[in-house]
Amino acid sequence: MFAHIFTNRLKCLVRNPITLFWTLIFPIVLGCFFNLSLRNVYGDETFSPIPVAVVNNETYQKDAAFQTALKSVSEGKDKIFTLTIATKEKAESLLADSKVAGILNDGTTIGMTVNHSDFNQSILQSFLDSYLQTSSAVSSIMSQNPAAYQKMAENLKDQTDYTKNVPIGNASPNGALTYFYTLIAMACLYGCFWGMQEVTDIQADMSQQAARINLVPVHKLKIFFSSLTAAFVINFSEILIFLAFLRYVLNVDFGPRTGFVILTSLVGCITGLSFGSFISAIVKSGEGLKTGICLAFTMTGCVLSGMMSQDILYTVRQNAPIIEFLNPVNLLTDSFYSLYYFTSLSRYWLNIGLLCAFIILFCTVTYLIIRRRKYASL
Amino acid sequence: MQVFKLCMKIIRKNKAAMLVYVLVFLGIAILISRITAQHPVTSAFSTAKANVAFFTEENTPLVTGIKQELSKSSNFVKIEDNTEALQDALYFRQVTYIVRIPKGFTDKIMNGEKATLERTTVPDSVYGTYIDMKINRYLNMASLYVNSVPGISQEKLVSDLKDDMGKSALVTMTSAKKANDSEKPFTAYYFNFLAYVLPAVLIFGISIVMQIMNEKDRRSRTFCSPISPKSYNAQLIFSIGFLAVACWAVLILPCAVLDPSHFFQQSTWYLVLNSFVFLLASLGLGFLISIFVQGMSAVSALANICTLGPCFIAGVFVPQAFLGSTVLKVASFTPTYWFVKVNDTLASTTHFSYDVLSPVYGDILIELAFAAAFFAVGLAGSKRKRLET
Repeated sequence: MFAHIFTNRLKCLVRNPITLFWTLIFPIVLGCFFNLSLRNVYGDETFSPIPVAVVNNETYQKDAAFQTALKSVSEGKDKIFTLTIATKEKAESLLADSKVAGILNDGTTIGMTVNHSDFNQSILQSFLDSYLQTSSAVSSIMSQNPAAYQKMAENLKDQTDYTKNVPIGNASPNGALTYFYTLIAMACLYGCFWGMQEVTDIQADMSQQAARINLVPVHKLKIFFSSLTAAFVINFSEILIFLAFLRYVLNVDFGPRTGFVILTSLVGCITGLSFGSFISAIVKSGEGLKTGICLAFTMTGCVLSGMMSQDILYTVRQNAPIIEFLNPVNLLTDSFYSLYYFTSLSRYWLNIGLLCAFIILFCTVTYLIIRRRKYASL
Repeated sequence: MQVFKLCMKIIRKNKAAMLVYVLVFLGIAILISRITAQHPVTSAFSTAKANVAFFTEENTPLVTGIKQELSKSSNFVKIEDNTEALQDALYFRQVTYIVRIPKGFTDKIMNGEKATLERTTVPDSVYGTYIDMKINRYLNMASLYVNSVPGISQEKLVSDLKDDMGKSALVTMTSAKKANDSEKPFTAYYFNFLAYVLPAVLIFGISIVMQIMNEKDRRSRTFCSPISPKSYNAQLIFSIGFLAVACWAVLILPCAVLDPSHFFQQSTWYLVLNSFVFLLASLGLGFLISIFVQGMSAVSALANICTLGPCFIAGVFVPQAFLGSTVLKVASFTPTYWFVKVNDTLASTTHFSYDVLSPVYGDILIELAFAAAFFAVGLAGSKRKRLET
C-alpha cells in the first residue's frame, strides 16, 4: 500500500511542473545574485598592493635614502605599494580620480596628500612614520652610544619579521559563506509548502480530494506518511541539486565533512515539511492565511539569522541569544557554519538536536490534530 | 463595478492573511533599518583602526609598550580566550587580528635573540598587513636599541621608543571627497528597505486576489457575462491598485512615527514620491506574476527571486558604493536599482536645486517606464490566456 500511494503521490507532485520549476530554481537564482554582490564586498578586505604616486622633483631625485626605502617596499612578491612616479599635476589628477591612494613627497619634507582616510591611507602613513621614527631612533642612539654607528647601519638593513601566523582551525573566516548557508536553510524551510499541501489534501474539511481519500479503508496515518514521504523525496532532491550547484558552480566552501552537510540538509527538509504540516493542521481557515503564516515565520527566521545583514545576527546574539535557539533557520545556518568552521562537532550536534526537538514537536501536534477525525457532514 | 466589488469582497475575506504579510514585512523593515542605522555598513571598511584581541602570558614594560603603541592603530576587544569564541569573533569580524605574546618573549628581545609572537588574522587581509607592520616596526626598533646600546634597561628602551614612535608624518587632506555615509538617518534606511518590503507585500497580496479571480471555472463564468475584457481588466487593476495604495500608506506611516525629526523634511517628500512610483512598478510586477504563475508555493518562490534578488544586487542590503560596475549594470535592469539610486542621491543632498533634481526626475521616469512595461506584458498575457480558454 505504501508503494502504491507513494508512487501515485509522487506522480501528482511531479505533474505540477510550474511549482516544481520555481521551487527548484528560486534558490539557484538567488544564489547567483548573492554571489554577484557578496564576492565583491568580501573581496575588498583582501590586501593588494596600494597604488601610490610620488612627485618626481628635485628633492626626490636627491634623496637616495628615501628612494631606496620606497623601492624596498614596492618590489618583489610581498610588495606593499605600486609606485607611479609623476609630475605634481599628474599625481593630483590621479588622486582626484582615486587611481592612487595618496601622493608622497608632496612638497612638505616627509608628508603625503590623501583625499579620504582608510586602511590603505593608514598603511601609507605608517610607512612614512617609520621613516621618521627610524631617524629619530638613530639620533637618540647616537647620543647614547656614538660608537654604534656601523653596527646600526647593518641592523637597519635586515628587518626581522617578528610575527608567526597561527591559524585557528582549518577554515578561513569567509563571512560571505553564511549568506549562502541562510539561503540553503531558507530553501529547506520552503519545504513547508509541500508539507502544508499534504495536510490540506488529507483533512476532509479542507479539500474535496481529502474528503474522498478519507472514504478509503486505509489507515489515515499510512496515507499521510506515504504522501509526505513523496513530498520529502522531491524537496530533498531539489536541495541536493541546489547544494551541488553551490559547491560546483559558485564554489561555495562547505568544509571537508560532506556527509554531515547532507545530513544537515536532510534534517532541514524534514523540519520544513513538518513545520508546514503543523501550520496547516492548526490553522483551520483558508490557504491564504496558512501560506501567510508559513512565509511570515520563514522570512522572519531568515532576517534574524542574518540573511539581509549580519549585523542583525550580532545584535540578536548579544541581546537575546535565546532567539537564536528558537529559530530553525538560524539553527540550520549555524549547523552549516559549524561544520565549515569549527573542528569540534559539539556546537553542530546542539543545533541538530534542537532541530530534531522541533521536528518531534511539530509531528506530535500534527498527529494529535489529524488523527481520528470524524465528520457528521461536510 | 461588479468586478471591483468582488475583488473588495475577496480582500475583506482574506484580510487576516493580508494583515499577516503587511505586519511581518513592516516588522522586518523596521528591524533592519533600526539595526543598520546603528551600525552603518561603511564603518567596517573605513575606520583605520583594526579590532584586535591582545593576549599576553607575561607582563613586562616592553609588553605594555607594545600594547600602548598598538592602541594607536587598534581598538582592543575583550574576548574569552577559547578557540571557539575566538574563531567565532574572527568570522563575524568582531576582531580581525589576534595577538598572543608567549612567555619569555621580552627576555629574548632584551638579549637580542630571535623571538616571535603568535598572531591570527583574516588571511591575506588589509588588517593583517597593517598590524603586522606596526608590530614589526616596534620590535625592529627595539632590537636596534638593544643591539646598539649595550645594557639598556627595559624602562629606558620603552620610554625612548615611545618618543620615537611619537613622530608622525604630515598628512594633507584634500576635500575632494567627504565621508557622508555614516550620517544617514533612520528615514533614509527605511525608504531603501521599502525596496524589499513593498514588492513582497504586493506580490503576495495581489496573488491572493488573483488566485481566486483566475480559477478556471470562475474565469470562464466571468467571461460569459456581458462585461468587456477591457472593463474587467480596468476594474481588476483599479482594485489591486486600491490594495496597493492602502499597503503603501500603512508602510510609510510608521516611519513618520519612528523618526519624525527627519520625516517632516523637504527631502522626505521626494522620497515619498519616489516610493509611490516604485509602488506602481511593484504593482505591475505583482500583476505580471499573478497572471503567469498559479499556486502559492510557486508564487512565493518567484516572489523571493523578484524581491530578494534585486535587493542584493541593486544596493539595498549592500550599499551601491560597494558593488562592482558589472553588478550595477545588471541591476540597472530592475526598477529597484533606480529606486535606490534616487534615495541615495536624495539622502546625500541638502540643496534641492534643478541640477540635483533633474537626474532624480529622470530616474523616477525610468521606474515609471518599468511599471508601464510590466502592465503591458501582464495585459498581453492575460489576453492570451483568455483566448486559450
